[in-house]
Amino acid sequence: MPTTITEPAADVVILGVGYMSGVIAAELSIASLNGGKNYKVVAITKGPYWDYVNDFSTTKYDEWGVGLGRKYDSPLPLQSATIRNTPYQFALPVRRYTMPIQYHALGHGVGGAAQHYGGTMGRQGPWGYTQYSSTIARYGASFLDTVNPHSDLEDWPLTYAQYEPYYVEWEKAHGLCGDYNGSATNQPSDTGYPWMSQNYPLPPSPLTPVGQSFQTAAQALGYHPFPHVSALASQPYINQYGVPVNPCVYDGYCGGPCDYACETGAKANAAYRTIPAAMKSGNFTLVVNSFIFRLDTDPISGLVTAARYYDPQGNVHVQPGTVFFNGMWGYNMIRVMLLSGIGAPYVWNSSPASVTGSVGRGLTNGYLPYRGTNVSGTLPNNGGNAYPAGNGSGGSVDIYDLMDDNFDHSVSALAGDPPFIGGAEIGAGGYPGGGPGNITFAGGVSSASMGGTFKTTQKDKYLPTKTTLSSTPLAHDLPTTDNYIDLDPHYTDIYGDPLSRLTYDWTPNTYNGATHLVKKVKDIFTQMGAQNVTIGSTVAPGAAHNDWWGHHLRGGCRIGANQSTSVWNKWNQCWSPVSKPVFNIFGAGEITNTSGDNVPSGTHVAGPQSYRAAEGIKQYLALLTPGLLT
Amino acid sequence: MADQTRREFLKLGLAAAASAVTASAIEIPLFNNQNSSMQTKLDNANSQLNNANSQLSSANTQISNLKARVNTVVGFVSLSVTEQSLLEKIVETIIPTDTDPGAKEAGAIYFIDRALAGDYGQSANMFMDGPHVLPRIPASTTNTLSVNPTLSWANLPGNSSAPITYTGGSIGTPGVGAGITSSPRVGSGINYQYPLNFREFWRVGLVALQAYANSAYGGNFETLSSANQLLLLQDLWGNKPTSFSNILPSDFAYELTFMTWAGFLMDPIYGGNQNMVGWTFTGFNGVNFGNFYGEGQDQKALMVATAPTRLKPASLAQYQQQASGGT
Repeated sequence: MPTTITEPAADVVILGVGYMSGVIAAELSIASLNGGKNYKVVAITKGPYWDYVNDFSTTKYDEWGVGLGRKYDSPLPLQSATIRNTPYQFALPVRRYTMPIQYHALGHGVGGAAQHYGGTMGRQGPWGYTQYSSTIARYGASFLDTVNPHSDLEDWPLTYAQYEPYYVEWEKAHGLCGDYNGSATNQPSDTGYPWMSQNYPLPPSPLTPVGQSFQTAAQALGYHPFPHVSALASQPYINQYGVPVNPCVYDGYCGGPCDYACETGAKANAAYRTIPAAMKSGNFTLVVNSFIFRLDTDPISGLVTAARYYDPQGNVHVQPGTVFFNGMWGYNMIRVMLLSGIGAPYVWNSSPASVTGSVGRGLTNGYLPYRGTNVSGTLPNNGGNAYPAGNGSGGSVDIYDLMDDNFDHSVSALAGDPPFIGGAEIGAGGYPGGGPGNITFAGGVSSASMGGTFKTTQKDKYLPTKTTLSSTPLAHDLPTTDNYIDLDPHYTDIYGDPLSRLTYDWTPNTYNGATHLVKKVKDIFTQMGAQNVTIGSTVAPGAAHNDWWGHHLRGGCRIGANQSTSVWNKWNQCWSPVSKPVFNIFGAGEITNTSGDNVPSGTHVAGPQSYRAAEGIKQYLALLTPGLLT
Repeated sequence: MADQTRREFLKLGLAAAASAVTASAIEIPLFNNQNSSMQTKLDNANSQLNNANSQLSSANTQISNLKARVNTVVGFVSLSVTEQSLLEKIVETIIPTDTDPGAKEAGAIYFIDRALAGDYGQSANMFMDGPHVLPRIPASTTNTLSVNPTLSWANLPGNSSAPITYTGGSIGTPGVGAGITSSPRVGSGINYQYPLNFREFWRVGLVALQAYANSAYGGNFETLSSANQLLLLQDLWGNKPTSFSNILPSDFAYELTFMTWAGFLMDPIYGGNQNMVGWTFTGFNGVNFGNFYGEGQDQKALMVATAPTRLKPASLAQYQQQASGGT
């Protein structure tokens, strides 16, 4: 018979244990080392603790189990999400993991989704933080309405310069590899690029031949190439918490669609960077295999009093705390708040002026997988052993020149292309490696892939004598009032609580940006000496893409400067609802309302927020009268 | 000479045992008859050796074959006899044998058989709860859908237990499209909305396919010309059959193709890609990162090389064997 167990109270209760939670765990549990108070920290995750040596050292190569079967990802029978394109549709549940990925394989356990990503990192440029006001100032308010109907775009509460010191801490903690960001000057006065007060702690991995070719071509065209910023350690490293890090061994089972785990711990992950520091502090308790389903609130103050979770036996545990940090994966972060009645839930209306609330508001997409425009070509005399050798994200080269507002977006400057704002980080040369799961299967199973065609296309495929170049610029997906997350009325998780329902369709800005950017990519590919460079077909907004889903959906629980439209304030502290804020819960994660899309995931933008939030939590715990930080 | 061969045998037996242990530790399902059939093969080879020293060289060949197939299997654990003969021809149509090996040589059907008997067949990692709402094919402009909410949703503040009606439509023009996503692309995240696990789905699908072969091509699939076999599978991809046991033919075609590929290209430990013929054909090196057989190649160097190096592939079983100190 399941029982209810009340756990000893903690100062800080962390919900979910991924990247952001790892930072909070380390910073709060060892606060006393920095002259602060000694805090008791408890962190709760629905999955296990993965030991990279024992859990991944051989099984990571098991493509059927891990790559296609997604053995290390969140089990769908436990919980799924439902998805639809418009608020008028019945949302269908995601029933299976597919290849290519149509839905993000959620992380599971300590480290969260980081265990299976490619390690793409970097910084968001200064424009990303002020893109609403910058766009209005340069192009006018009507321009924004044109490129993004029902726009819900806002500025961040802080500027890039204010986040810069937090980026430094974030990069040191995780041992990021790179070499500045393509700026010749690297001055705080630079606007086009994220300047850096100090370089990345580790040098980049060696450039691949394709990366070198891209670099030369980009330079010849007047761009400013720089090594892709990667979270896969290029050298042995010890971070600021004294946690040692093994380097990458370049065996090439890393990122890409199969999302292989890392057997050396070179791939940055809270479990192998920040959580070990918390563990060592003696002030930290890690609770695994425990599914958080509610946050209890005080009926009078409205503040959170405890997190309620199921253990694997079905017993209910109540974990009281003073302050709470919501570090759950994007959908779950929102879901637990909606289920618990915390903050003002977002309520959609066909009229943008009539929408209300903030929890679930501003869902965006960081990816256009296999849809939209695409440019491809082949690079002769450049083949080699791409698979399996390489790593998830190092070895490639990027430019920032075609993202943010680093070029003129006015109608006349776009030379007849449909208007848009923002752009994309363009790059080439990464060898994510992997095997057939990553290469053959990700190419897609279709009627054309049967019979003799399969034989001719696959023979010696892994011994290429020329390199196939392909790029789908991510473009810039802006929030609208029509894309959001709420609770599904018809489907529940294994415990009977409603699933998250995702309502999302691509916005014209995203398509228009891709349409323009592929031409620029074509120029670079041609400059590289590629042959048969072609641009794929465009898919119009609203066309039959309602079945395809970006697996980098993000947002829906955003930080902002407007209390009625955002969940978190500039300290990443909850300030919703406006009438009576639930101010003892903080958050960071995939909550990046207005990021520049320089990488598909929102992790790079959320990272510095975790350090900001840690600072906020310490300040909050020191308040004599608890309340909103200013 | 004979002693040396016996030592080979002993090692082989130990390797089989070792890999079984490792495999269960990483939750890869192995089946009892896999071990017993392997044991039978080993016994046969052993008696051959004992009986005829003069045939030592041929026995040695057999041993090396067995060693390569240490984790491959024969015999079926899930597919019925009828399903076996039909599926055999289907996988051979999807990846035919020409001058190079195809699905037949890879034993793709064994891979599928094992998968259907295991987690895949039971849809163990899938969200299977109702309601099961099938997509409208073709998209209708008049469909609306009325569905009751769950109690847990209805009980939340602001909600009610009244049925919810979905009219479909796009932003700005509500109510003119289907109440559900109308034509999900095959293989997409919301594609499989059936109340069947994959074992049932394959059972139903194979029966429907055979019925279609008879109605459209005048005979069982196995009896058709290879050109017609391919045409029929393409019909499924194109949703040409109008009656297909309430499943979308393209959904089944996707699954057939996907699983045949997997049976050709996944690690031999799962029963397909026997003798690593799929990897040899594609030039994939498995877990040989350049020095598995002592080739002396460096991973970092291979990453930046501009000319390909063909490496002999190595499998998970070999990798685990090597990792556990065997050779």
